[in-house]
Amino acid sequence: MLRYVRMLGALALENIENLGRMGVYFSRMLRGIIRPPGKFWPVVKQIEFVGTKSFFVIGFTAISTGMVLGLQGHYTLSKFGSESVLGAAVALSLIRELGPVLTGLMVTGRAGSAMCAEIGIMRIDEQIDALECMAIDPYAYLITPKLVASLIAFPLLTAYCDVVGIFGGYLVGVGLFGLNPGVYMNSVQNSVLWEDVYMGIVKSLCFSVLMIWICTYKGYYTGLDEGNFGPEQVSRATTKAVVLASIAILLCDYFVTSVMT
Amino acid sequence: MTNTEIIDICGLNSYYGDRQVLFDIEFGIPRNRITVIMGVSGCGKTTLLRHLIGLKSSRPKELMIEGEDMGGFRESRMNQYRSRIGVLFQSGALFNSMTVADNVSVPLRVHSKLHKETIRIIATIKLHQVGLSEFCDYMPSQLSGGMQKRAGLARALAMDPEILFVDEPSSGLDPITAAGLDNLILELKDTLGMTIIVVTHELESAFRIADQIVVLDKGRLLTAGSPEEIQTSQDERVVQFLERQADQKQENNEAYIKTLVGRQIPQVQD
Repeated sequence: MLRYVRMLGALALENIENLGRMGVYFSRMLRGIIRPPGKFWPVVKQIEFVGTKSFFVIGFTAISTGMVLGLQGHYTLSKFGSESVLGAAVALSLIRELGPVLTGLMVTGRAGSAMCAEIGIMRIDEQIDALECMAIDPYAYLITPKLVASLIAFPLLTAYCDVVGIFGGYLVGVGLFGLNPGVYMNSVQNSVLWEDVYMGIVKSLCFSVLMIWICTYKGYYTGLDEGNFGPEQVSRATTKAVVLASIAILLCDYFVTSVMT
Repeated sequence: MTNTEIIDICGLNSYYGDRQVLFDIEFGIPRNRITVIMGVSGCGKTTLLRHLIGLKSSRPKELMIEGEDMGGFRESRMNQYRSRIGVLFQSGALFNSMTVADNVSVPLRVHSKLHKETIRIIATIKLHQVGLSEFCDYMPSQLSGGMQKRAGLARALAMDPEILFVDEPSSGLDPITAAGLDNLILELKDTLGMTIIVVTHELESAFRIADQIVVLDKGRLLTAGSPEEIQTSQDERVVQFLERQADQKQENNEAYIKTLVGRQIPQVQD
């Protein structure tokens, strides 16, 4: 019995320590904004990696989601004779909810995993130690540019996802079910308010911070807890990072929606 | 500590979790000299090096840098110290995503306001120093292990450090490349007056370059002195190390069975 209590205590202490370490990590990541080296080109490079290179995957996800929303929305709305508001249903679902969440999840899977693996490999190969020995702040050099780039790229990718998704709904509504294009676009324009767009932007900013925080944290501390630095630790850290970041994005989505609705 | 000593290690203890890996290490590192830290694998050499370069924290008064307690260094003071040192890691620790010249340029780009072209020239000079000036635009993955190590050394030298730490310079290198690195280390001491700390278990290399040799064994300081003093040492363990004699196996059957089954074997009663 005492053994279980001790194990439970040890687990609780370990988790508290991890949370504290994550907090310190976050503050150092933010502090990196004002510390050398200069970040303009690293940020541009990261915007290309997080943003431009995610265009295809986000576009594909968005158009297929928009088309499915068009199909499902038309089926449901036709039961009430309200096919004319299909545009509003697709647009609001995307702008308020699916756009930011899908973007967050897809970018986490594509870029977050790569960032975690990259930093993890740098850790096991002593490259992060080398940075510290050169008196270079590894947070400012490695992590902060990724954070700034994600804060810029996420809202843009979300907007792109929304637009492509609405176009997907348009293809199905107008092309397949013969809705009037003007009716579809008019319903989009009349139903979407600034608050809806604002909610999408806030969500995308929150998700970008969560993705960078969790994925780079897991990479940065690869193998340190186990005291073992090998490829297996990198793969484990990457899996954990993607799973945790995805869960965090979904939880955060609910939280932001409940606060802003 | 005397004036000639740049670093003084005063009773350093080190732990990984609950496991103690260094026990009360005490010696001084003389200025403008080459100190070689030797010992069998797992004796704590690299851990000691990590303390010296500030990657592992030490307790107050355990490590003194020019009379200043390293245990009490705040971040800015630690960075000041680190801007005076260069470190060559065992693996070279080059950044895989950039060329060799860019790797050498990293500290210059961050710490100096020099023009891009000047930085490029300095990087090429440093690479020339280690015999790699033709490989400026190669990626680290295109270099052999020995070349990566030399490129790592060029990066460590980029800021003209006062103290150079080198971890296992010869491991995994052919004798000719290893001898070339030894020559380079000697040259750095003679021409630039650098203080160099080398961690190695290569006897030949150690005796060739060292002004002072420190021998560690199982986390403890076995002996420290000039190469001649080490060579004439009567200490059984030092002699064993120098003569490359394997440890005598002392089989303890009961302990061996315990490691296999993970528990004590009950005694059989007659």
